[in-house]
Amino acid sequence: MLDRRIFREIDSVTILLMVVVSTVGIVFVYSAIYFQASQFVWRQIIWLLVSLLALLVAIMIDYKFLISISVPLYILMNVILLGLLFFGKLVANTRSWIVLGPFQAQPSEVTKIAVILVLARLFSEYREDHLSFKGFVVSSLVVGLPATLTALQPDLGTALTYLPILVGVYILTGMRRKYLIIILAVVLVTGFVGWNYALKDYQKKRIETLLTPNQDPRGSGYQLRQSKIAIGSGGLIGKGYHKGTQSQLRFLPARHTDFIMAVIAEELGFLGLLGVFGIYFLLIYRFFSTVWVSADRAGVYLAFLVTMMIACQFLINVMMLVGLFPITGIPIPFLSYGGSSLLANFLAASLVINVRMRRFRYV
Amino acid sequence: MARIYEDLTTIIKRSKITLYVLAGLIILVLVFYWKIQVLDHQKYWRMAEANRLRELPLSAPRGLILDRQKVILADNIPSFKVSLVREAVIDYEKTIDSLALLLHLNREELKKRIDRYRFLPAYEPIIIMDNLKLEDVSLIEARKDEFPEIKLEVEPRRYYPFGLTGAHLLGYLQEVSVDEIRTQPEKRWRGGEMVGKAGLEKQYNDILTGREGKILEMVDSLGRPRAEISRTEPQPGRNLELSIDFDLQRKAEELLQGREGAIVVLDPRSGECLAWASSPSYDPNRFISRFSADEWLALVNDPGKPLENRVIRGLYSPGSTFKVVMALAALNEGIITESSTFYCSGAIELYNKEFNCWFRPGHGNLNLPEAIRNSCNIYFYQLGRRLSIDTIADYARLMGLGQKTGVDLPGEKEGLVPSTDWKRRFLRQAWYPGETISVAIGQGPLLVTPLQLACLTSVVATRGFKVRPHLFRGTGNDASRERINLPEAIIEKVIEGMWRSVNNQGTGQGAYQPGFEVCGKTGTTQLISRETAERLVQRGVEVKKTHSWFTGFAPRQNPEIVVTVLVEFGGMGGQTAAPIAGQIFKAYREKYVRQTNLQGD
Repeated sequence: MLDRRIFREIDSVTILLMVVVSTVGIVFVYSAIYFQASQFVWRQIIWLLVSLLALLVAIMIDYKFLISISVPLYILMNVILLGLLFFGKLVANTRSWIVLGPFQAQPSEVTKIAVILVLARLFSEYREDHLSFKGFVVSSLVVGLPATLTALQPDLGTALTYLPILVGVYILTGMRRKYLIIILAVVLVTGFVGWNYALKDYQKKRIETLLTPNQDPRGSGYQLRQSKIAIGSGGLIGKGYHKGTQSQLRFLPARHTDFIMAVIAEELGFLGLLGVFGIYFLLIYRFFSTVWVSADRAGVYLAFLVTMMIACQFLINVMMLVGLFPITGIPIPFLSYGGSSLLANFLAASLVINVRMRRFRYV
Repeated sequence: MARIYEDLTTIIKRSKITLYVLAGLIILVLVFYWKIQVLDHQKYWRMAEANRLRELPLSAPRGLILDRQKVILADNIPSFKVSLVREAVIDYEKTIDSLALLLHLNREELKKRIDRYRFLPAYEPIIIMDNLKLEDVSLIEARKDEFPEIKLEVEPRRYYPFGLTGAHLLGYLQEVSVDEIRTQPEKRWRGGEMVGKAGLEKQYNDILTGREGKILEMVDSLGRPRAEISRTEPQPGRNLELSIDFDLQRKAEELLQGREGAIVVLDPRSGECLAWASSPSYDPNRFISRFSADEWLALVNDPGKPLENRVIRGLYSPGSTFKVVMALAALNEGIITESSTFYCSGAIELYNKEFNCWFRPGHGNLNLPEAIRNSCNIYFYQLGRRLSIDTIADYARLMGLGQKTGVDLPGEKEGLVPSTDWKRRFLRQAWYPGETISVAIGQGPLLVTPLQLACLTSVVATRGFKVRPHLFRGTGNDASRERINLPEAIIEKVIEGMWRSVNNQGTGQGAYQPGFEVCGKTGTTQLISRETAERLVQRGVEVKKTHSWFTGFAPRQNPEIVVTVLVEFGGMGGQTAAPIAGQIFKAYREKYVRQTNLQGD
């Protein structure tokens, strides 16, 4: 089944870029929480190796096959998410974790891959110029179900990261303006209902924080303030590795996860930040180039949706740190500490690599 | 072509547009980061510094106040307080149990106290006990390792080891008021700082207060100190060495025990004050512990006025002690010589009014020294008839009455020397010659402080040298010694009378000390306020309706010491004040004169 030629086509550039970003992440996880770093750093290194291995295994399997099993996979993941709501262990006030000995995993991260696979299957034979109503409803439901289950855990941040996938579908299928209007109407209505009946107080607070960041110095406004101070005080060249006062003296919240980019900005300055942004841009560009060389429609969908997912998550995170987006607890892909998100991102990226290495199969 | 390509151009085009949009967004975000990191860098840098740096004041110990033999009158003692740092508590209930046991505290009260400060961040220590006893401190110190959650802190605190002793000259400390902080920004007081509010503590506050030090430290987000960046050590305040002799001070206060009155002891050669007693007294230590409003009101409203420094703020008629001034005036004006005599029949009619001598049978014929010895009123009425009130006022002022002595204590009163001008100005009335007769024996509107009388006596003792009384030895206080315009020979004649008064069965014989040649003058002032007298009756004190004065010096040649005693409601000057002064002369002689004699041997 495996053609030996395709191994030559493994996209080592993408893999290298991902490993570089992940390594930078580990280096700064170490800086951010050095007092208990060994535990965190080793765990993340193990997760990186596991993720790398998972990626290599995953690219062995033809993405066509993965798409063919996507529906059962999708159903399985949703069942797990549903089960978590009832039987999940409460960690930091959410039921989003599966605890396996020393490792914890967030299934909703991996579920996104199943969602992408299902969507690719759904649209692989779709040759209309524009998105049909049926397509609109089905794709929205496919994304909406696990996103809702995740939001109920409640993990609003992760739920939000499903959105770029759906947007990706809308873009590729060429959604008409009338659907856009329907979506806006739905968003407004659910926004109104959600604000008044569904959202928890802390969630409301996070949204309010975006509007008035200086009102609540110890709440989310405090986090944004400290994040901006960290970034701003870093200046052009930064305070030096391990010398950021905002991170070392723990003014910065969630330094090793959501706010790790602020640590980099503080300690390496704008130039260091520019470097990290550069690597991300290369990675995103490389993903896009796979989209363009993809052999079939399914490949385009797979590569594009994964790219959307990773690129948007990156963008939302860096916007969040400076107050351009509400602080919603979205980690930055590859860089932030967190095993399952790293694994999920590697697996997602493996689909892109998969598509790229099998672009010549009909030759 | 073997390759079967689908037509993907549309969706690839769409993906390309998406890339451009994303790239545009990334560039926009980068511009935003550029603004924060590079353009607004200074602002955020300052905010980061404000986050991480904290300034802690280091309080400087206040200078000590010592007596002339370096006995410490105002000390600093370490004040220990125990705080609980909840951050370090592992088992809350267990900690409370063992703390209650260790510090002998009520468990429930301790718990309540800690709960009351629940709202404070956990790293902020909660004071659970202050002003710890030394044995408690050593107990805690010994078991420090068992209680990492306990913090023992020490702070210098003012302490007056002898309590009531010298309270009026030492003064007291109180928290600086909000008004003072506002009106004197150059002093840079902190809220809650203790500053001198009376006595020497106030007078020399700037000398006694040291310069505060400070620590600049790095703190983390919870405010926990992480590292010390810089430290400026505090500069302790300068010590104040007083001219006060602790033994004499003690003696003077002992002699006034249970009475209201004042004693001041001066060295006439320098103006140094050796003792300074005002009774009743108060304990300045009570001000340090920031006592309650009730306690403060009780002290202020105490009818005995314990806060009042009678030595410089008590105004009394000088009574017969003023006869010294009268004698000097009459001699110097040439109205009498020391041998001029007047006849005392016990009473005299002047200006159609009868004036009595205190000795009703009458003293008969007497000259000036005898008149001073017996304190004969008739003799001095005769002088008053021959001197104008303005002349008398001139001599009174020459001797230092009616003006501040300039002693180094705040709040001194001027007293009052009446004159025609004074009466015209303040009462809008003409002076009656009859009033001069009252002034001649130290009554009438005349008012003096005990210190003024001591200074007057000092001028007599030095045969005409005026010194500025002072308590702090140093800063050129000794330099002021000024000759007044009065011939020595005239003063010598008055001294003869004062010597006889004490040594020749005169009114001042109570002050007699064999071999010490005490010279002095008694005084008895008629009481103005009867209410005060009645109050004393209620208290069970035997009430005399007069204040009792004695002022004198010793020895007659080369005087070393001036003693002025005032006892309120003490009866005749000779009865109460003179024996008290005698005790002080005795104490002084035993301490100083015998020593020099022994050295001489």
